[in-house]
Amino acid sequence: MTDTPPPRKTRKKQGDQAFDVWLKRGLHQLFDDVVNEPMPEELLRLIQEDRAKQD
Amino acid sequence: MSDTFHDQIVNILPKLRVQALALTRNRAMAEDLVQDAVCNALSAQTSFIPGTNFGAWMHRILRNRFISDLRKKRETTDIDDTPQSLLAVGARHDDRLALQELDAALARLPDDQREALVLGVLEGMSYQELAEISGCAVGTAKSRVFRARRQLETWLTADTPSASRRESVKNISRKTLSHEKNCPSPVRNGLNHGTVEQNRSRAVVAGV
Repeated sequence: MTDTPPPRKTRKKQGDQAFDVWLKRGLHQLFDDVVNEPMPEELLRLIQEDRAKQD
Repeated sequence: MSDTFHDQIVNILPKLRVQALALTRNRAMAEDLVQDAVCNALSAQTSFIPGTNFGAWMHRILRNRFISDLRKKRETTDIDDTPQSLLAVGARHDDRLALQELDAALARLPDDQREALVLGVLEGMSYQELAEISGCAVGTAKSRVFRARRQLETWLTADTPSASRRESVKNISRKTLSHEKNCPSPVRNGLNHGTVEQNRSRAVVAGV
């Protein structure tokens, strides 16, 4: 049995999967640092003040 | 009851940040948008029906605020205004080039496609959840994610005069997939492009 290259559909699917993996990793690299920063104190205070007003 | 409402707001802030950053592509504007959306939500808290989807309600408020601000300002986001801090500081040189390409390509996408793609990939939102947030049909939400992903792939992997940068994206993609195969992940759901959907129709990208 000779070695034949994978069918075109399989190669395309593998390419799509590779891109999806890369895309997810790339988005995390772009967004994570900013998203994981502490929330501004001003914003948290705003929420807390409103909570106190409701009580 | 009001304690639960405020706790829900605090808990959802990181996700709001993701959405705001996806829409505005500017850190300062994203922070302002989140704060404005929270103010709107606090003002409208009596209109929230306990037991219903708080996340969708809150994301919708932020989205509507973004659209409202955009109409007032009548500006489009300029990728040159994108802060460098959005890029990974510690990335290797070829990775950094690829990330710059991705960053620039994201800026070119329509806002609704970019928002759907980012929320779907980073927050793992289902098409149903994306549809609820943006007030569209599930099929429309799915279409936005599909088109965004396809457009990014076209821009980032096509053979064009910027072939050297494209090549770096292709090479990194291949290396990433090879690495992923050696590190099995419990999550292997790919975006369903015309294939049979799983029960929850999750817009989770294959990989980690």
